[in-house]
Amino acid sequence: MISNRARVLAALALLCVGGTARAQDPNDPFSNPASPAVTATDNGQSGRPSRREAMDEVQGRYRQILALWAGGQTEKAVNDLIALEESVVRDEDAGTKKRLLKAEEAIIHEIGAANLETLVPVAMLHHDVYRRYLEKGAKGHSLLLAHARGMARDLAILYQEQSGSEGAALVSSRILTSLGGMLQQYAQQLPAAEMFYRAVALDPRNTAAMMGLCIVYEKNSQYQSAVDLLRKIATLDPAYSEARLRLALNLKRLGQTGEARKGLIDLAESKETGWVTVLAAQELARLYSEQGSPAGAQKVLEAALQRFPNDARLYVELAAVLDRKGEMRGAQAVMDKVLALKPSADDSSRLLYNTTRQETFAQARQFLDENARSRLSLLAEALSVPNHAGIAAERVGS
Amino acid sequence: MRRRVSICLTALLALGLLGAAAARAAVGVQIDSPADGAPIFGPTEVKVQVGAGEPVTKVEIYVNGKLLGTMAKPPYTLTVDAGDENVKRELKVVAYGPAGVIGSASRTVQPVQIDDTMDLKLQQLFVTVNRGEDRALDLDEGDFRISDNRKPQQIVTFGKGELPLTAVLLLDTSESMKGERLEGVRRGAKAFLQGMKPLDEAALVTFSDRLLQITPFSEDKQTLAKVLTKTEAAGGTAVNDFLYMSLKLLEPRLGRRVVILLSDGADVHSVVPMSDVLWKSRTGQAMIYWIQLEGGEKHHSYTSAWRNAGENDKEYETLEKAVVESGGRIQRIDKTAELEGAFRSILQELREQYVIGYYPSDVRKDGRWHDVSVDVRRSGVRVRTRDGYLDF
Repeated sequence: MISNRARVLAALALLCVGGTARAQDPNDPFSNPASPAVTATDNGQSGRPSRREAMDEVQGRYRQILALWAGGQTEKAVNDLIALEESVVRDEDAGTKKRLLKAEEAIIHEIGAANLETLVPVAMLHHDVYRRYLEKGAKGHSLLLAHARGMARDLAILYQEQSGSEGAALVSSRILTSLGGMLQQYAQQLPAAEMFYRAVALDPRNTAAMMGLCIVYEKNSQYQSAVDLLRKIATLDPAYSEARLRLALNLKRLGQTGEARKGLIDLAESKETGWVTVLAAQELARLYSEQGSPAGAQKVLEAALQRFPNDARLYVELAAVLDRKGEMRGAQAVMDKVLALKPSADDSSRLLYNTTRQETFAQARQFLDENARSRLSLLAEALSVPNHAGIAAERVGS
Repeated sequence: MRRRVSICLTALLALGLLGAAAARAAVGVQIDSPADGAPIFGPTEVKVQVGAGEPVTKVEIYVNGKLLGTMAKPPYTLTVDAGDENVKRELKVVAYGPAGVIGSASRTVQPVQIDDTMDLKLQQLFVTVNRGEDRALDLDEGDFRISDNRKPQQIVTFGKGELPLTAVLLLDTSESMKGERLEGVRRGAKAFLQGMKPLDEAALVTFSDRLLQITPFSEDKQTLAKVLTKTEAAGGTAVNDFLYMSLKLLEPRLGRRVVILLSDGADVHSVVPMSDVLWKSRTGQAMIYWIQLEGGEKHHSYTSAWRNAGENDKEYETLEKAVVESGGRIQRIDKTAELEGAFRSILQELREQYVIGYYPSDVRKDGRWHDVSVDVRRSGVRVRTRDGYLDF
């Protein structure tokens, strides 16, 4: 038991936020668990609290926030943590982030050593705080954004590495997937890719992370990589129509038009009535047009309009096809129908394709919520055991 | 204003069948795409099969004897630009082995067969003439010389802007237009509507990645203005699709036709490529004015799941080309407050254009491009009008 606790503490010191890079920093107290966490630099004669006192205060407040979180007061916990972090960290002073990190880390040492499973709800707290920071915008919050993301990510990785169980890998993979989804939503493709890549490495059946990674590949014109990944998704989940659509379109980009066409035909003729079907019809018609078969394009679009008579874009595309065939009047008649359409309130299929839809990651988040909730009692229990980490740290040092 | 001529075009099926017979070569080279007899324009995918048993070093694609592309390894599929002219084309593919040519195949692709009654249109040119910063408004018919494919043309109609106007106000109200920008758009469009004269008509289209609102053409300024108050900003941007739609809506109208596009021009979500919009613009007579809300800065490249940065840049450049070729212009806006003035200045410019009509002396309906030029016999003036048109 002691051996396991020591292993956890050592790993916490090495990995928790900043990971290996910080462990190599001789000035970082957390690179050596036996050294004091902070060093007082203010003797208190200035009237301001010393750094040590400030650190103690932050730690105290952080502990209270974790207790709120463990007690189910999630909204208050998130708001209080944001208030605490904003009071400590300023974008113009990178050292403030480091101090916040040390303070939070000290508490995480304590509870993580008491029970490794507590890392899951703590990671979720930082995950939710990260979401709030993203919603508020990066202006004036760039260090806090990086801090919250780093906390959630590193706690997820640490939890999986220390646990080594398959269940931990699933949980950690989904924390990373959810973080990746948020990053992608805010157009941060490369950091998102890092999250998705790690998530897939932890759980090779995580189709949400694979889809996120595929979108990064598409947006960076890495079509072959996207195809390779999409083939895996299609094998794991043959009913995942968005994956099949993306596979067909990326194959088209690679010049593999035969397979692309077959995939698009299957989707366009499917009984599904969602955006994937409309888009498959549009792109199939486009493919026929590019292959010099306007008659094929016309047939596809006319069939699609029977099913989706309010889609203005289908009319425009059909008119363009008829124009190219020389059937200008037919094209005009098609276009006149647009004037009678009602305004559309829904996002178009083409926007949805180009957007990271948070539905993709909803299942991962639900899984996380359930897992975090089931461990809240463990967190509460760990928080009621003071100085536990300190004792264990001495043992590690000796 | 128009001469109506009924043209009966016979099907060219016989030629199509001949093409099919030639498509398969004895040495196992076959053209799978484009389909037999299908007309081809612009970017065209050519798909070739080369029979097994022979090592292949490359496959070349020729259209009307001109080398358009080379494929080094299977799959032998390549998109080439076949050009926009509506003409018969000889498509030929040649496969090479280490020792030279090992086989070839060819196919004749037919021009579009027009199945409608067509109108021989009076070509109308809307000509803006500037002298320094001011408009030159003192010119007469005798001051203008029109050339169509370098051949002088006889002017048959001449006017000074009194011709009624038919406009589509095509307003990008995507998410990025929220707030002050949208207010500016409303004010600008209202200013345009208020400046309309009797017999002028306008249709209002607001769009994002989808069609948000559309009205029929109307002279009723009040009704059109009311639509603007309901406008909300949402979604992405699909300039190509809705610019194509606007040009198409103007096609059957008569007289001075104009699309006023207000957008940053960053198309992301269109299904219709801008090359199709350019083609549509070249076949019609509508002018495109583009009020560009990009802070007057250079266009920034961007990527999407639909196109990479290079492809998006090309779309943007093609839009610029379509605007300039149509005889319209791009007005870059630095501040939202300038929008009202931009709409007003375009309306003023339209009112101050010379309207010159002629029947082209060499009409062939072959889809070929006609260069149009307008010269003014006065010194110190600058002339702007449509660059030409496709002869359909």
